[in-house]
Amino acid sequence: MEVINDYSNQPKVEFEGFTPEESGELQQNVFVGALDQIKGWARSNSLWPMTFGLACCAIEMMGTGASHYDLDRFGIIFRASPRQSDCMIVAGTVTKKMAPLIKRLYDQMPEPKWVVAMGSCATAGGPYVRSYSVVKGVDQVVPVDVYIPGCPPSPPALIYGLNKLQEKIKLEAKGKKVPLT
Amino acid sequence: MSGVLGLLKGLGVTLGQLPKKKVTLMYPDVQPEWPDRYRGVHKLMPDLCIVCNQCARICPTSCISLSGTRGEDRKLHLETFDINFEICILCDLCTEVCPTEAIQMTDTFELAEYNRDAIYKDMNWLTENGKQHALRKGLSLESTEEAVEQNNQLEGNA
Repeated sequence: MEVINDYSNQPKVEFEGFTPEESGELQQNVFVGALDQIKGWARSNSLWPMTFGLACCAIEMMGTGASHYDLDRFGIIFRASPRQSDCMIVAGTVTKKMAPLIKRLYDQMPEPKWVVAMGSCATAGGPYVRSYSVVKGVDQVVPVDVYIPGCPPSPPALIYGLNKLQEKIKLEAKGKKVPLT
Repeated sequence: MSGVLGLLKGLGVTLGQLPKKKVTLMYPDVQPEWPDRYRGVHKLMPDLCIVCNQCARICPTSCISLSGTRGEDRKLHLETFDINFEICILCDLCTEVCPTEAIQMTDTFELAEYNRDAIYKDMNWLTENGKQHALRKGLSLESTEEAVEQNNQLEGNA
């Protein structure tokens, strides 16, 4: 009897996006892994990045969105508002003046959200590593999922990075972690 | 009436596009064809390198670091060669100053990673990249050895 009391005193796991009743039912051996995987599949195939270009990388990003490389093939459609998007492609040099605005835009995006650091500048500062006014990598401001080096990366390189992000979303929906190689 | 005409005109443009050749490159399925002098990721031939440090000195972002030791034949041999692709801007200057053409550009572009440490590439990776590049382009790997031999002959003459 003591064991049962101990068990009921333990903190209950609350599932995200469910009412307490539903959450309670989910405790009783309901298998939710498949639902997460379906969500991961849907999210990865309708990745809506925010229109957010800071420098020359943005030109390359626009070129990728246009018909020659056509990001729409992967369900990646640029949105003009952070409220409608779930992915932020930081394309270009992040100055110290711009960094708080990036943080604000990131906070305005609804969960789940991902960040892609496109180009050398967003990854580590690029040619401006020794500058006084440039943030040395956007990961000092927001958490970054995929880094795409290049100055600027060519459209196929960007597509490669975005495909890697899609793989990551699917993998994390399975409860696994991406390999750190 | 004019509305219908406008609609037909618009549809005419749409239907006129249908028989035309598609412009989209189907990248993940079909690899893009780069021009010969495309500036992708470097390849390295460690046997050719004479550790003159010129690439590291000219690099505008100082992303190259290398070290070597003097062998028994009193020549410098490469021990480590790292390129930090976080800040490398693929400007091609290192390949232009290299006197032995030990470092060259390839058409490799698939470099995106999940963490920053993985973008820091060492000598083995760059050599392997050269091999993959040769396989893709249908070049023979022996051309490297030939270049080494030629280099040795030139030095012998001088």
